[in-house]
Amino acid sequence: MKKLLSILLLFVSLQSLAGVDPKLLVRELNKKFSQVIDYKADLYMEFNLPGVKMKNLKGKVVFKKPNKFKIKAKGIFFLPKQNPMQNMSEMLIDTNSYTSIISGYETVEGKNCAIVNIIPLKAQDELILGKFWIDIKNPLVYKSQITTKNNGTIETKSVYGNFMKYALPEKIIVKVEINRVKVPKMMSVDLNKKSKPKTGIESKETGTIQLNFSNYTINGHLSDAEFID
Amino acid sequence: MKEFIAILKNEIIKTIKRPRSFIGFGIIAFICLMLQSAFYHDGKEILSFVTGQLENVFNVEGKVLNGNLICFIVLQTLIVQMPLLVALVTGDLVSGETANGTIRFLLTRPASRTKIVLAKWIAGLFYTLLLLIVLGFFALFVSHWIFGDGDLMALNSEGLTIISADDIVWRWGYAFLIAFLSLSVVATLANMLSCIMDNSITPIVSVMAIIIVFTIIGMFDLPSFDIIKPFLFTTHMISWKSLFEDPIPFHDIWFSIVVLIIHIVLFISISIFYFNRKDINS
Repeated sequence: MKKLLSILLLFVSLQSLAGVDPKLLVRELNKKFSQVIDYKADLYMEFNLPGVKMKNLKGKVVFKKPNKFKIKAKGIFFLPKQNPMQNMSEMLIDTNSYTSIISGYETVEGKNCAIVNIIPLKAQDELILGKFWIDIKNPLVYKSQITTKNNGTIETKSVYGNFMKYALPEKIIVKVEINRVKVPKMMSVDLNKKSKPKTGIESKETGTIQLNFSNYTINGHLSDAEFID
Repeated sequence: MKEFIAILKNEIIKTIKRPRSFIGFGIIAFICLMLQSAFYHDGKEILSFVTGQLENVFNVEGKVLNGNLICFIVLQTLIVQMPLLVALVTGDLVSGETANGTIRFLLTRPASRTKIVLAKWIAGLFYTLLLLIVLGFFALFVSHWIFGDGDLMALNSEGLTIISADDIVWRWGYAFLIAFLSLSVVATLANMLSCIMDNSITPIVSVMAIIIVFTIIGMFDLPSFDIIKPFLFTTHMISWKSLFEDPIPFHDIWFSIVVLIIHIVLFISISIFYFNRKDINS
């Protein structure tokens, strides 16, 4: 009897997990995104890219619906071609443009997340596949893996704080696979530096950019002038 | 002392007034303006050779092509050629007068031979300083005027180092000081050979040959060359570039400075020693 009861319980719990509707999760998430018309926040960027030495930078980030997004900072810095903040909401908002399926479940940052795969319906879409780790209890994207035709795969991890009800993260870690930046010795004129021996096949290395957001001002009626250089 | 200053003044005027001195200024101005013009028209294309590796994945934000980058490129290009310009003038300061016979008139003055050699050496250093000032004006100020200010994307064989525009002025100051020290080694070497040789052309050609050979040795990563590289002054002549690394390898820079100073002291000592014992026959 006990065995039967435990099998029944297991079946019920599996059934409940299997019952998570990816569209419902995405819709709940979109509800959070839709509350934000515009925002402004302070930004602190930390770079760790192979072959590039640079200091961390302070700046500001501004966003306005539908797709105005700008990072303002003094100096030279690198941003992924796929903007994780903008792409995520843009990708998920039109639920009729893609098929969503749950490919599994994983715990990320202590949250029980469903891995929602997004496959675009139109072949000409830039997106090939979007994988989003969405918390089942409180739908928020904790991890994503977006593969596009032109810019390869980009992985992000998000940490949420006070603005989780708007699905706005406190921290995003963007992970990219790149070849180590190299400058030919003849071009760098480094006569007293010894070249490192080549290891044969040049393997890609992982680089990260950490974006830390603070002092969000949400729906403060940002003017378009904020997006002009 | 008054007498020494009079000789020095005379030597400086003689050095500056020579037509070949202006060749150096002209070449520096020409190369700087040529590079600036090339970067003004095709800069983004030239830079994509380096930034292209990143641009597959990233958008490079900010003004990469700016006065600091142009100055860096000009300086690292010219630092290999400038010793030749220095040698062209300082290589015959003594031997030129020996060949012409005017050295005898100079030696009839009551000043000691040591003072005469020192005066000629300092005049050579003064010319070197003027060359660097001209370079600094064109490479730094004209580049900033044309391209504006901005963070420096310093190119080195291990990759890129981005240095904030706020943290760069002092680096340029020290870089030019180290460049002056490096070129002073060349000027002192040329002066030494000029004291030893009686022909006007041979010391100039010898200095050029030494620099070319040493530079070629420095370019190749061969184990047999690695042993001699630390002893070549050309290896330390580009230590100014280390100021644009992060973190700055101060230990290496100080080592290079010491090596360069040792070379200067050695070369000027040999010059004085040899000139004091030299038979002036012509």
